[in-house]
Amino acid sequence: MIRTRGLGLVLLAPALAALAVVTAYPAFSVIALSLERRVPVFQIETFVGLANYRFLLGDPAFWSAVRVTALFTVVSVLLEVVTGVALALAVNGQRRWRAAAVGLLLLPWCVPGVVAARAFEWLLHPTSGLVNALLGGRAINWLGEPGLALGSVVVADAWRTMPFVALIALARLAAIPVSVHEAAAVDGAGRIAAFRTITLPLLVPVLLVAALFRTLDALRVFDLPFVLTGGGPASTTETLTLYAYRSLFQTLQLGFGAAVATVVFALVIATAWLYSVVLEREERRR
Amino acid sequence: MARRLIALALLLLAAAGCGNAPRADEPARLVFRHSRMPGERDPLPALLREFERRHPGITVTRESLPWTADVQHQFYVINLEARASGFDVLMLDVIWVPEFARAGWLLDLSDRWPGTARAEHFRSTVHAATEDGRVWAVPWVTNVGLLYYRRDLLARHGLAPPRTEAELAAHASLIRDRERDPKLAGFVWQGKQYEGLVVNVLESLWAAGTDLLGADGALFPDPARAAAALRWRRDLVRSGASPSLVTAADEEISRREFGSGRAVFLRNWPYAIDLFESPESPLRGRVGIAPLPGGGALGGAHLGINRGTRHPDAAWRLVEFLTQPDAQRAIAGAVGLHPTRPSLHAGGVLREIFDTARPRPVTPWYQTISATLQPEFSAAILGVKSPERALEDARHRLDYFTWGPRHGPQTPRRSDRPRRSRGRPRRR
Amino acid sequence: MTGRQRAIEAGAGFAGARRAWGGWGPFRGPHHDQSRVRDVVVLAALAFYASPIAWQLVTSLRPDADLMESGVGITRLTGAHYVNVATASPLPRALGNSAGIAVVTTAVAILLGVAGAYALARLRVPGRRAIMLGVVMGTAFPAIATVAPLYLIVRALGLRDTWAAVVLAHTSFALPLALWLLAGFIRELPREMEEAALVDGASPTAALRYVILPAIAPGAAAAAVITFLASWNEFLFAYTFTATEASRTVPVALALFPGVFEVPWGDLAAAAVLASVPPIAIVFGLQRHLVRGLLGGAVKE
Repeated sequence: MIRTRGLGLVLLAPALAALAVVTAYPAFSVIALSLERRVPVFQIETFVGLANYRFLLGDPAFWSAVRVTALFTVVSVLLEVVTGVALALAVNGQRRWRAAAVGLLLLPWCVPGVVAARAFEWLLHPTSGLVNALLGGRAINWLGEPGLALGSVVVADAWRTMPFVALIALARLAAIPVSVHEAAAVDGAGRIAAFRTITLPLLVPVLLVAALFRTLDALRVFDLPFVLTGGGPASTTETLTLYAYRSLFQTLQLGFGAAVATVVFALVIATAWLYSVVLEREERRR
Repeated sequence: MARRLIALALLLLAAAGCGNAPRADEPARLVFRHSRMPGERDPLPALLREFERRHPGITVTRESLPWTADVQHQFYVINLEARASGFDVLMLDVIWVPEFARAGWLLDLSDRWPGTARAEHFRSTVHAATEDGRVWAVPWVTNVGLLYYRRDLLARHGLAPPRTEAELAAHASLIRDRERDPKLAGFVWQGKQYEGLVVNVLESLWAAGTDLLGADGALFPDPARAAAALRWRRDLVRSGASPSLVTAADEEISRREFGSGRAVFLRNWPYAIDLFESPESPLRGRVGIAPLPGGGALGGAHLGINRGTRHPDAAWRLVEFLTQPDAQRAIAGAVGLHPTRPSLHAGGVLREIFDTARPRPVTPWYQTISATLQPEFSAAILGVKSPERALEDARHRLDYFTWGPRHGPQTPRRSDRPRRSRGRPRRR
Repeated sequence: MTGRQRAIEAGAGFAGARRAWGGWGPFRGPHHDQSRVRDVVVLAALAFYASPIAWQLVTSLRPDADLMESGVGITRLTGAHYVNVATASPLPRALGNSAGIAVVTTAVAILLGVAGAYALARLRVPGRRAIMLGVVMGTAFPAIATVAPLYLIVRALGLRDTWAAVVLAHTSFALPLALWLLAGFIRELPREMEEAALVDGASPTAALRYVILPAIAPGAAAAAVITFLASWNEFLFAYTFTATEASRTVPVALALFPGVFEVPWGDLAAAAVLASVPPIAIVFGLQRHLVRGLLGGAVKE
């Protein structure tokens, strides 16, 4: 194998070079950018140290975005895991048309996020939407009322991504040997007890993995809220990612926007680390 | 193997990259970027055909912009900043010209466009296209905020069109009380979180005797009056004098609400006049227009030329052609966007409204200011924040964004501001 | 990013997933009659769940006059919106751009990915663990963090509004994903396979070409499909780096669908349906291959 050392580098070099340009450099560069005041429109390019972060600490819009992001992430991930597991249990019990069931589950998941956003925008249209029509023709402004907009965005996002959790759970459920359930039935365990003592513990590790990926995605989701509400009304649906994008490209405050983006970056990495610790502990317990 | 892979990858990238290279010997093909014209009778195809007939060798392709001004702005900023040359002639909202000029995105038109020709246009429109003493765009169409009222309802209750905001609110509630029609709202306007909301609040600031920027460039020179103006808008929503839909309303939503007879007053642009007087309109002959209490905001569009254009002369010929009196008249006749030449305006109330209209602040920072104000104003009229809090938060942000973190979040000394706000001078 | 989500299916439990997706039998229990009702109920619930997509389809077939006024009562159907979208909207160009960009992105990611993954999985490379960690982290990078630097790169290279700009940006998530998936597939191959070839005197390149490549072909195909879908659906980069119809992709065209004062809902629904056809066709057409490739790879022999 010694003579292959050079070959390894040769084969890896193109990929590494590409990664250096498109991921490694941008990852470091965004942090450097966040230490600048950079407004290309006015040819402003000044190093300002931590000033952008200091401003963020006292910035109500930033803290509002933090709250919205936290709420959005926690509620949508919880909603997805609970409904996802419920649906997986239902489909796992299917005896007929299971392929059709999986197919229907796949649908919301494989269409582009912008399509999902446009579909919900139209469903929730105040005067012509299906939802209001089914509610008896009331003109509820789902995406325009501060109290309703975030909930609407959460539901749309959960709708789109819940199938992912359901499919993972389904795959795990199908892997549980029938004999385990039969043994439980012989023991006279009730359905709920069987779920709690047998199915759930088997599901927990994959659900943790699913929740990790969903949390990471919820932290960085952009297309759906951007198209659905753009962060309004009164910034009640503005997540950190939207806030960063608005700062970056609405007025090209690249340095400040990069500082917000760096916060998202840090949150994503911290989340990944947190989950990996939990997962490891879970592994060791089994 | 590896070398072949790399070669193939590079080849693919290269293939993806080319295809846009210009050829100098080609006849000029211009790309004209503009937002769609409202209404069914788009006058542009005929105008462009005429232009191509008169200028053999120049062809014009048009590409539409997204509909809302804020998205259009974002589109331009991202693209022009990166020196994109995908378009030659640009339709510019009146508020963007100084910013785009300062950024170096527009061709300087001062030498092509003589002073005598400029004098034909409303002075405010030329002023809006001027930055650093040079002219960067030619006024194309103009627009003004005005007050629509139900002539029949005001007459029935013996009222004249309101001349102050207090009168406007009083008339609205008086008529609603007396009509006893639960479906009838008082005053509809544009309160969605977008540029239109800033315009509406700005008109209230003027009515309250203050402005967005003071003479020295300071934001909210009279915070107490500014807060009162914002509170007046909030109170309209809270008291029900304005229906709750205004907090999500843009021009069309508010126009339809008034147009179907469900409101006494409407703030909008002149395009709605023809719609209210059309044969299908339930309000035909029952709508009057009046100046807004503080004067209406000037809107409209200019035509500018991308500095990165490969055909500056052909582009200038197109700008000249589209802004000449005949073209402006054709556009006004078809879609209700008005000429920028006073000589093409008839007399009457509309002329009076144009004469009392005021421009939004002419500053390269306008979009930054507006983008900062939009969520704050929206929060104030929805009652999420008090007007004072909203103004304070907006000022806090703008201090940071426009005058630089050197000062930190504190308010800088006033005398420092105008100079520092200008950024580094632009090379020409 | 949906690509990662699809990829994680791989880790969800091998045999089970394979059964869930393909190989389950017709029934597993004795209670046939009760279960029929239950199965119908579950299927109905799932159909309801997918109804927002069905409603887009219905909307795309209703005339404009009905859309704004008559609410949900479906009285007439029309193909006019599809005609509008095909003849007078940016969508046809956008479909072409999306297909081209996704194909080039996939080609770049798979070509560089196969070579790199083989090196990472089988050959001696200094700092392999660190590189692998970097790759895994790369799959988790939020686009919002890399978009500003990539924007500055694209601007410096003068690539604004070209396929190359979007391909470059899409490579930032496609390549780590491909490397990660493919390295996993290669690692699962029995080492004896290539060692036999090497003992027989074949060079490592020949071993890669004649032994590894055929063995991971199903996995590589699955990775290609995942990369293609992720690129097809991506919005943030495409929205930022495209300017005109020369490079605008389908999600961007949908987000910026031109209208006057009011969104043309019927046309938009038709465009959304057309935009969804390729991913739906791919996922459904290849449902079993996709998952088998992902889960099985070469191990199944």
